[in-house]
Amino acid sequence: MEIRELSIGDLNAVMAIEPELFGHEAWTASSMTSEINGAFTHYLGVFDGDLIGYGGISSIPNSFASDIQTIGITQSRQGQGLGQQLAEALLAKAKALGSEAVFLDVRADNLGAIALYKKLGFVQIDVRKNYYRPAGIDALVMKLEIRQPIVLGVESTCDETGIGIVQGNRLLANALHSSMDEHAKFGGVVPEVAARAHLEAMQPTIHKALQEAGLSMKQIDAIAVANGPGLAGALMVGIGAAKALAIANNKPIYAVNHLVGHVGADVLESGSVTLPTIALLVSGGHTSLLLVRDLLDDVELLGETIDDAAGEAFDKVARVLGLPYPGGPEIDKLAATGDPKAIRFPRGLSLPKDMMKHRFDFSFSGLKTAVARHVEKAEDQGLPISKPDVAASFREAAVDVLLTKAINACERYEVKRLLLGGGVVANARLREVAKERCDAAGIELRIPRFSLCTDNGAMIASLGAQLVMAGREPSTLGFGAESTMEVTKVQS
Amino acid sequence: MILAIDTSAGTTAAVFHGEKMVSHISFEDRFGHAENIGFAITRALEEAGIEASDLTMVAVGRGPAPYTGLRVGIAAGVSLATALNIPAVGVITLSAVAKKHPDGKVLVVADAKRKELFLAGFEDGREVIPPKVSTSEKLTEFGDFQQVDGKCDAGLIGQYAIGAMASGIDLSDTSALYLRSPDVSPSKGKRVSG
Repeated sequence: MEIRELSIGDLNAVMAIEPELFGHEAWTASSMTSEINGAFTHYLGVFDGDLIGYGGISSIPNSFASDIQTIGITQSRQGQGLGQQLAEALLAKAKALGSEAVFLDVRADNLGAIALYKKLGFVQIDVRKNYYRPAGIDALVMKLEIRQPIVLGVESTCDETGIGIVQGNRLLANALHSSMDEHAKFGGVVPEVAARAHLEAMQPTIHKALQEAGLSMKQIDAIAVANGPGLAGALMVGIGAAKALAIANNKPIYAVNHLVGHVGADVLESGSVTLPTIALLVSGGHTSLLLVRDLLDDVELLGETIDDAAGEAFDKVARVLGLPYPGGPEIDKLAATGDPKAIRFPRGLSLPKDMMKHRFDFSFSGLKTAVARHVEKAEDQGLPISKPDVAASFREAAVDVLLTKAINACERYEVKRLLLGGGVVANARLREVAKERCDAAGIELRIPRFSLCTDNGAMIASLGAQLVMAGREPSTLGFGAESTMEVTKVQS
Repeated sequence: MILAIDTSAGTTAAVFHGEKMVSHISFEDRFGHAENIGFAITRALEEAGIEASDLTMVAVGRGPAPYTGLRVGIAAGVSLATALNIPAVGVITLSAVAKKHPDGKVLVVADAKRKELFLAGFEDGREVIPPKVSTSEKLTEFGDFQQVDGKCDAGLIGQYAIGAMASGIDLSDTSALYLRSPDVSPSKGKRVSG
């Protein structure tokens, strides 16, 4: 006996038993097709060789609720507890989807089903008179409340100390302390400076998050921590803190991947995970293109930078132009009055010869060097340069290559959804071009609010919560920092 | 019940009931602090037969010590205290080691990496040379001091904390004692063309 998700290949098997299960209330093949294929419906089948029963739920994003659409077991297999197993599997699915309540209608004369639902914790909240026609039978409306886990997430992979708290798919707190100002005089993130800042910021940031959520540590059900990829010394501060938080109240701990956390952030924005998606994560430390088919089980790295991260390129070009750190906002400001077509800077790894090995990889070091050469040449010749033109042309080149590859990935993998994450998403031009090109290509663009795009604790809490909701085992207490963690490793 | 944590050398944790140490867990590995800290704490609690919620205070070793490992213990100790809503106190490791040598002039010396040393001098248990960075060549300056190994552990941190608190010494500072600035200088940026 096996319970698994139904696919359209199971349609004939479903239709073969549908009339027996539901008589004249049976659905047609076409409505069943849209149920099985629906983006917000989830159908499970009970198989014992053949299909012997099935059920489905519908869960609209941001509703934080699921409805049981149908549930049935063939006559010959009833009375074996299969209905309960199927119902429990549907409820587990609803929980994993972030539902805080599950609703269902049941015929008032179906006493066996009503007893089962009561046993599972459902309570009657309403009656629909004469709902089932032509017999004129009432429908009872029943509801089950699901208490989703409250998870506290610790983020310390780079220069942001983040403590976030979520309950299921809901954001409760997102406290942040940034050491960015301390790095400004060095023109980039200094690992030792970052690690020191994390240690100092940890306790006040924990307090701030708890206060924001109006919770005490005792009310936290689980701890999540990003244990890579990132700066080793910085990661270890977060790991030390997170393990202690877990031990203090004897709670489970989940060590999760920071990059996958960026994808998980979108859950807090939209109330659910909409998959599959291509994700473009661009920050001072990462430039990664991911194909996410399943947040917890199937994240594929399509490409990443082979040298500088995109954000790093903005910082370096800013320095060339005599602008302060961090470079992104400064270049954005300057570029607003410049001509993006004034200078044709190179698009890294975009030549036909690059398509074999580096189709979805990025390279920004050549772009940075080209900008520096351009500026140095003008200076050597005593010629004036238009800094706004240089900034705009550089920004255009960086944005162009990022989005060309991201959109190509959407097309290549036939995934009409693009999620942006990482601090570089603050760049106005990146968002603008992403919108234009996604609209043109019929791709759904998702950009979480900025506080969820930059490194933050809430996204780590969110990914941890997804693991808890899916019933995953916690991490064992012996995990360490993994600076170069692969994106395929969602949990350590 | 006091939990002491020190990650200045290995990863160590100890539980004190009154002045008596009832458990002491030590992982010697000088690199596995992040991996071992959770085990050290849970086993120290287990061996003492208590729950974390039984604790009334946490004492952490503030170093000076190699930074990466040191921070793990402080982060854990301070976070544990935060979660339990109990006080955390900090102990300078060199002072904790000096407790073992209450008589005469003692120079407590610990490895600071990069061919440097952390040291502090004590006379009859009183600190006469505050913690500082030095080198092995300069140790001759302290010829009249007996040199002792500054390797610390949670047992020493706990003992020191209990003694110091009884004498009313303020240990509220739990920050890491680095004694050196981050080893960086602002980049000037260099030309890319010749």
